[in-house]
Amino acid sequence: MEKSKNLSKKRSISYAKWGYIFIIPFFVVYVIFTLYPQLLTIYNSFFEYYRDGLNIIGPNFVGLRNYKNLFTVNNAGYIPMIRYTLNTAILWVIGAVPQFVVAMLLALFFTSTRLNIKGQQFFKTVIYMPNLIMASAFAMLFFALFSQVGPINQMLIAMGAIDKAINFLGLKLTVRSLIGLMNFLMWFGNTTILLMAGIQGIDEALFESARLDGSSSTQVFFNITMPLLMPIFIYVFITSMIGGIQMFDVPQVLTNGKGTPDNSSTTLIMYLNNFLGVSKNYGMAGAVSVLLFIITAILSSIVFKSINSGDR
Amino acid sequence: MKKLLSILLALLMIFSLVGCSGKTEPEPTEEGEGSVLNLWTWNVEFWGFLEKYYADEVIDEYTLKKGDVTIKRTTYPSDNMAYQDALDAALLNQESAAADDKVDMFLAEADYIIKYTNSSATMDVSTIGVTDFSNTYKYTVEAASDANGVVKGVSFQCCPAALIYRRSIAKEVLGTDDPAEVQAALDTWEKFDAVAATAKEKGYYMVATPLDTYRVFSNNTTSAWVVDGKLNIDPAIQDWMDQAEKYMAEGYAPFASGIWDAEKTDQMYATGTSMCFFGPAWYFNFCMGNAQDPDKGCYGDWAICKGPQAHFWGGTWMLAATGTDNPTMVADIMNTFINDEEVCSKLVSEEAQFSNNQKVNNKFAADASYGNDFLGGQNDTAIFAELAKDIKFQNITPYDQGCNEGLQQYFREFLNGTVDKETAIKNFKDHMHEVYPSISVD
Repeated sequence: MEKSKNLSKKRSISYAKWGYIFIIPFFVVYVIFTLYPQLLTIYNSFFEYYRDGLNIIGPNFVGLRNYKNLFTVNNAGYIPMIRYTLNTAILWVIGAVPQFVVAMLLALFFTSTRLNIKGQQFFKTVIYMPNLIMASAFAMLFFALFSQVGPINQMLIAMGAIDKAINFLGLKLTVRSLIGLMNFLMWFGNTTILLMAGIQGIDEALFESARLDGSSSTQVFFNITMPLLMPIFIYVFITSMIGGIQMFDVPQVLTNGKGTPDNSSTTLIMYLNNFLGVSKNYGMAGAVSVLLFIITAILSSIVFKSINSGDR
Repeated sequence: MKKLLSILLALLMIFSLVGCSGKTEPEPTEEGEGSVLNLWTWNVEFWGFLEKYYADEVIDEYTLKKGDVTIKRTTYPSDNMAYQDALDAALLNQESAAADDKVDMFLAEADYIIKYTNSSATMDVSTIGVTDFSNTYKYTVEAASDANGVVKGVSFQCCPAALIYRRSIAKEVLGTDDPAEVQAALDTWEKFDAVAATAKEKGYYMVATPLDTYRVFSNNTTSAWVVDGKLNIDPAIQDWMDQAEKYMAEGYAPFASGIWDAEKTDQMYATGTSMCFFGPAWYFNFCMGNAQDPDKGCYGDWAICKGPQAHFWGGTWMLAATGTDNPTMVADIMNTFINDEEVCSKLVSEEAQFSNNQKVNNKFAADASYGNDFLGGQNDTAIFAELAKDIKFQNITPYDQGCNEGLQQYFREFLNGTVDKETAIKNFKDHMHEVYPSISVD
């Protein structure tokens, strides 16, 4: 008796050891490549630390000055941090709302056993295609398409829709719409595939029994599909939101890094990038990053909590 | 005890000697030099000349071979200061980089050359054997010198800029395409404005974008972009802003596009209706590809004259990086492109460059039979030789690229009618302060 007890005790201990050993690589990588830089960023945000030409200024401890600068009204009469947060939010919403609607519709069509669409693989590949193009290449393409002498303007003029070229890249409305459109095109395929996987994970018997009970498609969607899809939907929503907060490549390339016009398409990361240009301003960039981290954390927890609690 | 101490000391000495010899590099000798020469550039203009007139063998797009040495190119685009950004990082890592990865020579433009010449990242080229500047233009040497007059590099070109006009349009607007007569009609800004009005009546644009005249004004400023750490907008820049505003309002330019945008370069095709462009020799032979297009271009329908004000634009300097392991070849390249008369002559006759060798340029300028086909047979070297006398390299700061690009970009928003003038300038100032924390703005 005693012997076997001892044996089982030993065995459980050795299992636990292997468990820890297997997760060591992750923690090592995490600490070196994520945690350490994160802490360093927070640390740098309290310093004046940049390059003037090839000379390095600092690091000098300045307390919260960098944060204060971010919330000081600038020359042009706005608070940069707030203005660029709003820009980012607007640009994300313009792209994300149609993205969710279209992706949800497509996912429902593709998974519906009633419609039973043929050639699913083909469509799935096609809608995923735009995501394979590099965002900056995609933005360059749009830059050329929508220039004042580009094909879109030429077509519109030839059709008689307009008589003078529209400066698509110089107007607030069109620049923002183009950025939204590009983000939508790039990401709706990805979202569709994730949602499809979620819907396919729902027990088919539930749909069948609901149909037998005579419920309409709308009822099935709101009472069966949506509640059961919630975990996947939250995941998609939060990842899209975090992606939105980090929006950079598309507006950066489309506006040549200047967030034209009137900084109305400057996103938070573009703002951060301005600091990291030739001056390598680690202090200010660090402060922006820390605020971004806080914003992301707050938004994610709000979304997570509200959607989860509404469900239960 | 004494014995022990002496042994310890002896050991210490040996170690320190070993340590030293490990760290210090051997005296540069031709045999002992590195096998890879790293050249940093932001475009392929100079690379092309190196390929044709210096290298023995072309390995691929990024690699050349000269003797036993491999010449490697690292290129970043100039836009948004991406080139400076990458170059700075490389130069700051220079000490710890392996010999074959060290930057040996890099190119720099007039807008920011001062940043590198005034730093220890570049070296005195007289120490590696570049000492004869007697044939170069004075300003090209001044530009490559630090505050104490130590020369850190040389330029293979001299960049006086001219007014480049379409002959056919000038004939319709001014009744002549003769450079001397066109010059007489456009030698002040008042006359230039008056001709712009005439051009408009006849259905032409004076310039392809109001930004085209920017360099003429910015090169004739009386103060620098940054004075006592504060951003300063010179009266000449103000004049340009007024002119640009007027030209868009009056319809003297089709679009307020960027100087490299398709809206502007499309105007260089035969179908274009803009009369005047501005630029040095490199501009019309490297950047006017649309005009040289065999199908849609208008090769030969161009000519140059001084225009309202003398100015220069850009120019590429080769600078020797401190820590290079190929000093002999770096010096050899520099000497070749300023003092080798055969190479310099080829730059003029084959590449339509305006070389940095006065003797060669003057030879072509005096040669009545020499002419540039692109300019309808006009002897451009003669004009540039005259213009080169007026070049002043002054009011330069390390921030010029950011300031020049930034002002044009933000002021364009006003010219396009998106924001008012005041907001455009304020946005520009805010952006400058973000990009250069050391500059204060009001």
